[in-house]
Amino acid sequence: MISSKFSMQPRRAFLKNVIRYLLLILFCYLILFPLVLIISSSFKTEKEIFSYPISLIPENATLKNFRALMENFPRYIFNSFKITISITALQVLTATTAGYALAKLKWPGRGFIFLLYVSSIMIPFQVYIIPQFIIIRSLNLYDTHLALILVSSFTAFGTFLVRQFFMTIPDSYIEAAKINGAHHFYIYSKIVLPLSKPVIATLTILSFRYWWNDLFTALIYIISKERKTLPLGLADFVSEYDVYYGPQMAASLIAIVPVVVLFILAQKYIVQGVVGSGIKG
Amino acid sequence: MKRPQQLNNEINTAILFLLPSFAGFVLFILIPILSSFLVSFTNYSGSFAKIQFVGFRNYELIFSNTKFWKSIYVTLIFVASSVVFQLFLGFCFALILNRKIFGKVIFRSILFLPVVLSSVAVCMAFLFLFHPTAGPVNNFLMSLNLEPVPWLAHKDTALMSIIIVFVWQSFGYYMIIFLSGLQTINPALYEVADIDGASEFQKLVKVTIPGLSPVIFFSMIIALINAFKMFDHVFIMTGGQYGGGPADSTRVLAFDIYQNGFLFWQIGYGAAESVVLFLIILAITVIQYRFQRSWVSYDIV
Repeated sequence: MISSKFSMQPRRAFLKNVIRYLLLILFCYLILFPLVLIISSSFKTEKEIFSYPISLIPENATLKNFRALMENFPRYIFNSFKITISITALQVLTATTAGYALAKLKWPGRGFIFLLYVSSIMIPFQVYIIPQFIIIRSLNLYDTHLALILVSSFTAFGTFLVRQFFMTIPDSYIEAAKINGAHHFYIYSKIVLPLSKPVIATLTILSFRYWWNDLFTALIYIISKERKTLPLGLADFVSEYDVYYGPQMAASLIAIVPVVVLFILAQKYIVQGVVGSGIKG
Repeated sequence: MKRPQQLNNEINTAILFLLPSFAGFVLFILIPILSSFLVSFTNYSGSFAKIQFVGFRNYELIFSNTKFWKSIYVTLIFVASSVVFQLFLGFCFALILNRKIFGKVIFRSILFLPVVLSSVAVCMAFLFLFHPTAGPVNNFLMSLNLEPVPWLAHKDTALMSIIIVFVWQSFGYYMIIFLSGLQTINPALYEVADIDGASEFQKLVKVTIPGLSPVIFFSMIIALINAFKMFDHVFIMTGGQYGGGPADSTRVLAFDIYQNGFLFWQIGYGAAESVVLFLIILAITVIQYRFQRSWVSYDIV
């Protein structure tokens, strides 16, 4: 940034800087406060949760809230991991193979198919959820994990992201490999994929985050208690009559922890995904 | 020139590579999108045996239903205000963080953090924070001798509360996009402006905003689509599947489609609503593309 010291009096510049820091601190506080509240309330008794002023460190820390989740939540957590990992793995597979066909192979109709993928990104899920539901029901897949996995594993957005990255890999690498007699499958798996670790990491993380957090799709396709995912289990609290906030906060904490860990470990790739979709698009 | 044999091989390979993705894409995304229109002209309610084409009947029902118009109204208020606040906050914090700021990385990470979190869990936390009688927010207001606000429990404040939570969770996304956009603006332009004696405000209006305009335009489209999709917040914070807020004050179209299609089994009716949703988004996007020529500049280097 260009400093504007010369055009402004130092006092005004200093004051502006103070306002900037105050805004940053205020908003960071507004963001962290609810999150800290989730953590601390998870370990509080129901009575202490509602006591005011709020104590951030629980007076009588208890695991009671987590014990209240023991009946159903281990199942939900398992289901969520199973579904999220399956979808993420399949998305990486389908997006990279299709990305390869769209970026590195020459065939008639390539531009049209790419356009189909791109324009479908702009269409909200709610627009086509009803016919998709009818298809799943006719395949007798309603209320199965397979239904969730099938409808979610084909990602137009991911294909777009990967294809854009593959376009930056020079065609000469592929031509050189071909001259040496390599097949396309070999080129894809041994040359293109190893060069594409950043975009694969980005896709993996974005897709894990998305499907770990997804409520809507699971709400449509899963009805049995033993097949529910973590967000669905959390949503069950909403329709219960006796609302206890302790177990709700404990369950929310469980839902938040994996993505926060992911965020801390791989923030770079998440930001790249956001920016990559934004700027190159 | 390639020999035909070689070209054929390339096409076969392409089909093989495309197939895993394209088969699923066609079956679960493309066909559903196209048949949305088809279903909306039927009285389908779960059984193919009784299905009939009913022409524009569902659309007549929709347009004569006051609940639908209320839902359109709620949706538009929600989309307009959340997009404005998200982009405004995202833009402001991008400008702030684009300067020499001590602890920049930490500030940026914290502001972006809510984007990755489960909106269900976030809504649970706000359900507690906004509790009308014993919630921390109202306790805080009362300690300042201010009137407590009914938040999610009253028809006049429920939608506002949802907008607050939605913006809280997502403005960091646009901040990140704007931040990387700001870094593409040529610093020489600011130097020239400095030499000309331009004020901070003039630099913002004459250099930063035009330079960022393609990114702002893109963000507007993304933010609009995301706002039209919003469902979790209404579901979790205003009453679950039979909800929609006090006096339907938070019944956005996405939620109404869900209820009609999957709870009341008026599938044809719900499909007609989803076609309307699609047309609204399409119309807004087309208008934006037309309108962009007047304010988006791609030629600033």
